[in-house]
Amino acid sequence: MLLVTPRSRRIPLALAASALLGTTALSGCSVANSEDAAGGSSAPSDTLRVVLQQEPPTLEACESNLTSTGVVIRSTITEPLVERNPTSGELEPKLATQWSSKDDQTWTLKLREGVKFHDGSDFNADDAIATIDRAVNSKLGCNVEGYVFGDDDLKLKKVDDYTIEVTAAKKDPILPLRLSFLEVVPKETSTTEKVREPIGTGPYQIEDWQAGQSINVAAFADYWGEAPAYSKANYQWRSEGSVRAAMITSGEADIATGLSPEDNIGDLGVSYPNNETVALRMHADTAPFDDIRIRRAVNYAIDKESIVASLYAGRDKAAAQLVPSGVVGHSDDLPVWEFNLDKAKELVAEAKADGTDVSAPINLVVRTAQFPKIQELAQVIQEQLTQAGLTVNLKMLETSQHLTYQVRPFPTKDDGAIMLMTQHGNQAGDAAFTVDQYMTSKGAQSAFGTPELDELIAQADAASGDDRQAAFEKVFKYQNDEVVQFAHIAHQTGMLGISSSVAYEPNSSSGDELRLAEVTAAK
Amino acid sequence: MLTYLRKRIIASALPLVVVIVGVFALARMTGNPAALYLPLNATDTMRAEFAARNGLDQPIWVQMAQYFGGIFRFDFGTSMRTGQDAAQMALRAFPATLQLAATTMIIAIILALIVGSAAAMKPNGILDRCSSFISMTAASIPDFWLAIVGIWVFAITLGVVPTSGVVGAAAWFLPVATLVMRPFGTLVQVIRGAMVSALSEPYIKLARSKGATEYRVIAQHALRNAAAPGLTVAGDLTVGLVNGAVVVETIFGWPGIGKLMIDSILQRDFAVLQACVLLTAVAIFVLNILIDLGYALLDPRVRPSAGARQRRKARAAQGPTHGSENRTLAPVGPALSTSESSRGNH
Amino acid sequence: MSALEMAPPAKDERPEPKNRRKAKTQSESRVSMFTMLLRDRFATVAAIFLSLVVLTAIFGPALMGEHATAQNLMFMNKAPFDPANGWLYILGSDSLGRSVLARIVVATQTTLLVAVPAVLVALLLGSLWGVWAGYHRGRREAISMRIADIIMSFPSLLLAVVVLFVFSPSAANIVLILAITRIPIYLRTARAESAELQSRTFVDAARTFGTNPNAIIVRHVIPVVTPTLLTLATLEFCFVMLAESSLSFLGIGIQPPDVSWGLLVAQGRQYLQTAWWLSILPGLAIVLTAVAANVLAAWMRIATDPAQRWRLELDRKSTKAFEKATRQAAKMQTKKGNDK
Repeated sequence: MLLVTPRSRRIPLALAASALLGTTALSGCSVANSEDAAGGSSAPSDTLRVVLQQEPPTLEACESNLTSTGVVIRSTITEPLVERNPTSGELEPKLATQWSSKDDQTWTLKLREGVKFHDGSDFNADDAIATIDRAVNSKLGCNVEGYVFGDDDLKLKKVDDYTIEVTAAKKDPILPLRLSFLEVVPKETSTTEKVREPIGTGPYQIEDWQAGQSINVAAFADYWGEAPAYSKANYQWRSEGSVRAAMITSGEADIATGLSPEDNIGDLGVSYPNNETVALRMHADTAPFDDIRIRRAVNYAIDKESIVASLYAGRDKAAAQLVPSGVVGHSDDLPVWEFNLDKAKELVAEAKADGTDVSAPINLVVRTAQFPKIQELAQVIQEQLTQAGLTVNLKMLETSQHLTYQVRPFPTKDDGAIMLMTQHGNQAGDAAFTVDQYMTSKGAQSAFGTPELDELIAQADAASGDDRQAAFEKVFKYQNDEVVQFAHIAHQTGMLGISSSVAYEPNSSSGDELRLAEVTAAK
Repeated sequence: MLTYLRKRIIASALPLVVVIVGVFALARMTGNPAALYLPLNATDTMRAEFAARNGLDQPIWVQMAQYFGGIFRFDFGTSMRTGQDAAQMALRAFPATLQLAATTMIIAIILALIVGSAAAMKPNGILDRCSSFISMTAASIPDFWLAIVGIWVFAITLGVVPTSGVVGAAAWFLPVATLVMRPFGTLVQVIRGAMVSALSEPYIKLARSKGATEYRVIAQHALRNAAAPGLTVAGDLTVGLVNGAVVVETIFGWPGIGKLMIDSILQRDFAVLQACVLLTAVAIFVLNILIDLGYALLDPRVRPSAGARQRRKARAAQGPTHGSENRTLAPVGPALSTSESSRGNH
Repeated sequence: MSALEMAPPAKDERPEPKNRRKAKTQSESRVSMFTMLLRDRFATVAAIFLSLVVLTAIFGPALMGEHATAQNLMFMNKAPFDPANGWLYILGSDSLGRSVLARIVVATQTTLLVAVPAVLVALLLGSLWGVWAGYHRGRREAISMRIADIIMSFPSLLLAVVVLFVFSPSAANIVLILAITRIPIYLRTARAESAELQSRTFVDAARTFGTNPNAIIVRHVIPVVTPTLLTLATLEFCFVMLAESSLSFLGIGIQPPDVSWGLLVAQGRQYLQTAWWLSILPGLAIVLTAVAANVLAAWMRIATDPAQRWRLELDRKSTKAFEKATRQAAKMQTKKGNDK
């Protein structure tokens, strides 16, 4: 601007404008921090294009239980020792071929031979031990440590180059299942810092990550298993569901995650049960929830079947427990709580007659945009409980604020009784991961419990095989009969957008780990 | 001119510090990030470890002192979310936003000049009424709504542009078209107002009576008069865009600073938030200085050049001459134009 | 028509003598604001529309509040303008089978309760501060302007999250955020105007007589800057409604079960392709209200400006005659110029 001399001052705006225009033109119409990546509608057909809800914060292997990280790396970039088949619920060999234990405390794992990392090095016992040590015993603060293992460390021993021994602090019949959450990285991986772009053994390796824009991966030539159908893949992310759906219909992407039917994707939207269950948690420390009759009345007052039918077009299933079928401990025989408004009103009246303050306000605490149609669901529940004679205020909160209600220590000075809407996903396939947290007296996400229930849970945790199934069934039945901390709403379904050019069958964990190797070109 | 610049920069330094201190303190009022970063069943030990690792266990003034200490070593902290250098993340995202803002403003200005002057030719004529209605409507449509309708119409139904993303020139169409509406709508009204008043000035009559063509009258005389108020409003609108076109960036997956900022606010990623705010604040201060310089170029009377020392002395009796105060002295045409500022920093 | 048209008419453009006399007699009898409003058809329509909006905001919730929350899951997403569904559903039903008409009516109150106080608070604080700073100039002015800079470069999104987190979500808090972030707009304008005024002779005169600065500000400065600031406030009204809807889009604005136009648009966006009326109708309410407010502001600008009021004081016939005369005069002049 300073170059403009007085003489040319008559057109300074035009000059400034053309100067700016020049700058933009020089930048070649490409965004500053981007190079032309594979993607867009002109991508060759050997590239699989995936659009996610959000950019992964990191691809660090020991954070793989975070949905946005896991969906990219699990069984695509990196692989675990043992893998849970999401359909059958059985554990299957991956980098470990066999595992066994005599006492449920010390487990011996045989490792696969002939496996190579993306950097060309061989996989052996040292890498397996380093992986477990790094994720569970280090000071790294891995998310998977807290999620699966807690404070207890694991003892590790190398038996030979392809055999290791893992010892838990106490009896742990599901240790192999816990280990299935650990993605294997080479022993050279830093133990003091997290690694954003891990080296793994998976069918794809990371090529480049353009922050904010896309991640490109390419098939790993020395992969120990079968080569994947696509030689390259490209991940992008858009936070609006309708935009992700539009990318599928316009042919800009092949797979889109986290869609809902309102996104108008038509036949290209494939829905699948996704392991998530929605429930209301009632805090019994404040009136009116200190009366179990009110907690039962809540269950009677909510019309689960019509919610599922009208809001979720009949895809979701009315729920009777916190875990869906396919998870150890789920019982098909446990009945969904009957919808009976008269019964609910009756219970409220009874409680009132006995001196319970039934008009005390209840705060229905809900997280904004946690899942599709959540605010509609919350308003339906509010309406139905109001009809039963209860006073319900709806509190829609942002994630961080919702978390202060979701986990201990709970807010104590609230202006009403707390009823929290929670969405629980059991990725592990065993009810222990649910009940320890949600139903014990001291559980991180449990508002209260009873000593009897705690005892039942402790028994179930230690049991194995068919006993385990029966013991957890008993826990869920006891909660519905005697404790009634929860009013279950529905087992949810997710939806993937899949373009007509690719073939992929989603399963219950597709939202947490999207195995690109299972995607093939449509015939 | 240099004296003026130096003064202006010094005057801007303190506000910058205040902005950073404010963001630092306010961000920490939004709760402990531990709950967001740790598993829900995290134990107390893990929470303590997390706080220690991120320096959150210290009193807030110690944290702040450490942060300012870091700034002098060009260390702006590390992102809790990604583990990357916060300053790098902000710097990487900023050019994308700047490009979008520049392109949008250029198009908005050019369109507004054309429509605004056409409307001013015949005040209250049909063309004027129409353009006035269209520009008001354009400025009052929610942007996210426009963006989604745009994707539906242009990308899905017509299939002429990609839905989103940053690959290829066509990808610019929808984000720019969405963003252009508000500046365009506002600027049309400003330019039209200034032109109407200019066209009734005696010197235009003089030019006309001398036989100047209508084109010359408009281009040379009237437009020049409209430049100053246009500059003020355009500057304010640009500030809004530089602050991040959050909604548009979110919808179109544009890797800009607005998206980064809202993500780091929602994720309580303090270091990144601070880096973003620092960067945009500096940019906004620079922009404000440029706008004031723009005035000086438009009207030599307000140029704070070294040669004008005497005049400055004379004016010193009235008050300081630095800063946006100069705007008072600019030939602002209609008084309202200075006030037509619409900052989109929501 | 635009808010920005405020050129004082050049002397020689005054009406022909005959008309001028007429105008004089009219202005002597002080044409009422109401008559002036009726003279501008567009402003009349805008005023009627805005009055309707205000009346809806005041009485709507009492009349239709129940219908706005009454759900019917068997009656979801019914299309609008179908008389078979009854007048309540003339604008269709939403995703929970509630009447869209009733929801827009009830939302009117929240929308105005957010937008109007936010604009008024910012206007009052910003203007007084700006006038004070501009009148005194010097350090007070410099510091005020730097504070304006600070507020402007501060991310209002963060402010929104802070307020949401620290207080419970409510319309009052949204007002707080929007008011604070908009103060600089008025501050800067008011300062610029008042800085210019304080050097004028009439202010100087008051000062020489030893009038107290605050009295000068109240008596001489504020009356002059008020029209500009009021017009600005009307324009800001539109901005505030949009800002509120953007916050709703990002999930940090008004929270259900409260409902505002912006929130309705934001929530309706996911049904854009299956039930367009959910987002388009409340969007239309925003646009129409904003345009009406703009039109009225433009009219007010002219009506309150002594130099321009004559335009509205003339009745339609005289305006036409005047315009014709002006055109002829212009032609003559051009001709003369060309002849030379």
